Amino acid sequence: MNASIRDKNKPIGYIIGGSLKESLRARLIVPPQEVREGSFVVIRTSDWQFYGLITDLQLGATDPRFADEPSGERLQSAISDLLQGQTLFTTLEVLPTLMLERGPDPGSPEYAQWREKRGAISSKTIPVKTIPSHYAEVLPANEGDVAEIFGSETSSGYFRIGNTREQGHPVCIDLVKLIQRSSGIFGATGTGKSFLTRIILSGLIKEKLASLLIFDMHNEYGLDDTATDTQESVPGLKGKFPAAVRIVGLGRGASVRGQAPDFNLEFAQSDIQPQDIELLTHELNLKDTTPATLDALVSSFGIENWYSKFKAMKPGSVIQGEDGKRMPAPDSVETWALENNVNSLAATSLHNKMTRLFHLPYIVEQPAANGLNEIIKALQNGQHIVLSFGDHENDLDYLLVTNLLTRRIREKWVEMTNAHRSHIERTAEPRQLVVVLEEAHKLLNHEMARQTTFSTIAREMRKYGVTLLVIDQRPSQIYSEVMSQLGSRICGWLGDDDDIHAVLSGLAGRDALRGMLARLQPKEEVILLGWGIPMPLVIQSRRYDNQFWGELLGKTHGKVNETQIMKELGFQS
Amino acid sequence: MNTTPIEIGRLLRSSLTGFVAGCRVDQPSLPVFGTLVRVPIEDQLEAFGLVYDIHMDDDGLVRQLATSHSLPPEVIADNRNNRNMPVEISIITVGRRKTGILSHLLPGHPPVSLDVLYRCTSQEVRDFTTTGRLGYFRHILRAEELPVGELLAAHLEQARAAHRESGDPAWFKNATRELITLLRDDYPTLMSVLNALSDLGPE
Repeated sequence: MNASIRDKNKPIGYIIGGSLKESLRARLIVPPQEVREGSFVVIRTSDWQFYGLITDLQLGATDPRFADEPSGERLQSAISDLLQGQTLFTTLEVLPTLMLERGPDPGSPEYAQWREKRGAISSKTIPVKTIPSHYAEVLPANEGDVAEIFGSETSSGYFRIGNTREQGHPVCIDLVKLIQRSSGIFGATGTGKSFLTRIILSGLIKEKLASLLIFDMHNEYGLDDTATDTQESVPGLKGKFPAAVRIVGLGRGASVRGQAPDFNLEFAQSDIQPQDIELLTHELNLKDTTPATLDALVSSFGIENWYSKFKAMKPGSVIQGEDGKRMPAPDSVETWALENNVNSLAATSLHNKMTRLFHLPYIVEQPAANGLNEIIKALQNGQHIVLSFGDHENDLDYLLVTNLLTRRIREKWVEMTNAHRSHIERTAEPRQLVVVLEEAHKLLNHEMARQTTFSTIAREMRKYGVTLLVIDQRPSQIYSEVMSQLGSRICGWLGDDDDIHAVLSGLAGRDALRGMLARLQPKEEVILLGWGIPMPLVIQSRRYDNQFWGELLGKTHGKVNETQIMKELGFQS
Repeated sequence: MNTTPIEIGRLLRSSLTGFVAGCRVDQPSLPVFGTLVRVPIEDQLEAFGLVYDIHMDDDGLVRQLATSHSLPPEVIADNRNNRNMPVEISIITVGRRKTGILSHLLPGHPPVSLDVLYRCTSQEVRDFTTTGRLGYFRHILRAEELPVGELLAAHLEQARAAHRESGDPAWFKNATRELITLLRDDYPTLMSVLNALSDLGPE
């Protein structure tokens, strides 16, 4: 952080041109190294204050020859400095986003008239509808400006997610808005997505605004973990919120990082529906004939029994007939196919491919306990579920389990909401639920989004109190219709143009924001975007460390090493 | 330091934008290139100008003497002191003082022949060069036939000295900045002016 940017009252430039459609242009009056792309700036005119982002810095000269031919060698240094100051300049490009009516100077007679005219209506920021005048001062936003736009940590529902990059002012997100619609956290691998997600989830748990259902594919969120790069211990949510967070293991006897979960989840074979299998078309390499075969199975055995019956069939099983000829055994797939007018080869192939499912230990004939109901009950009671996949962390498990579970939960939430709205049973409104989905592109890609419950949640479930928090490193792989529904987007560095394009889809000023997104620091620097965010902003994200937990929970948490203790006691600098 | 008005010569011819004065060769305080001078035109009106040329025409006697094999010093001195042709000092008008108020506008009418030309004192130089925002530069920059860079360098050197005397070293910097502002769209002229200013060297 440099001195001039810290100086809250010192203008860094003045407006020289621009338009609402393209950005505003400002002449920089401080060295360009003191200003950075993505900085949050305020533009002051007499009655209005505009808020914007620096999206570009351009070097210019009144005549190209002044830039081409260094004057330092030909002129006295003092004269050369004066020449450069007058003929070489830097132009800022500022993307205006919001405006606020300030009214005349409070000390002026016009102020009283203005106040009278406005009545009790207080000024509030609105999306930018006009532009500032020529020579309007451009200043770095101070702490008050940031709080005016992004809210203050002391207000309920506001959670500090990081600080402005240059000035270090706290930046909050409105958690109520964040969960009101589906949201997304994006960034290439290694950019700190998981840490940022932990921070946001901690905030949501602390504020008790919603129940969370976290599909923890890589066992990162529930229990303590070790950072892959620093090898330091990373606290899990369970350790910090032991009463509020419940760890669920997948399958009987499953353990998570060597510890027993709160309870285990198993699915009954009767829970499996044909669409669950169709969802795995790519993963199991199923053929076009699969839907027809599944239809026939449901027709033959009913929706609850088709899976167990099909599993029990033996493909290729033969018996010897009275004439000595080999023929399909009665319990074979082929016999069922013949009797039900189904292509025998298609049925056999489907059975073979579903063998991977038949061997899954968490799909059982009769679950030992009703884990699904336990999960729903916990979520209704305001607890949070971290579903740990344990040893079952391949794509097949992830796709199947997330879809099975979410479908049931969605049905339950729709039922509860309808009951509440119809007032028949005078039931309470279901608790707001956020489904946290890692590796979201696997479930929300162009092929699968239409089939899974998640796209329905993203599109329609807001009114039933269920939203998604999508975490992914390839946003371009997520179905555009789902992306367009994401209200808030928090994005770290992305290296792929398509991913950048996807994150910015549907946002105003995306051309200006593209460069900012592409040039984020690879770690701990994220951009906040979207409906739930007052204006786009690049921030230094909060660190997920002991200090964070101390601030969040009000006391020092976790192990502190000797060096830190000595430092805090003042024995080391 | 120059504190009292010094008479230099009398006007030979004039126009609104400039005038020419004549003086003797042995004039004790012959002005130098870039000197700020003034001519009282009438009771409450004076024209201010900058010396941009000093030249001496020949006459028949000088031509004869120049071809002589040997010239005694007293002949040379006699020719110089008693010659009929004056030294001509050309001046560009850069401002006026009307009813005691200095400005960088042109006087309403030019001085007339045999009006007396004075060299400005240091205080007059400071007063004139701090009136307004150095607007008199426009008269110099507009005169394309003049050696603009050299004239400005000579004038700024003398004015810098006058301001230094009064403890205002920033004047030169401000004047240079103003010149850059006025000329930043005219690269060749600006570089010519700045090269000349650089040749002045630091004070």
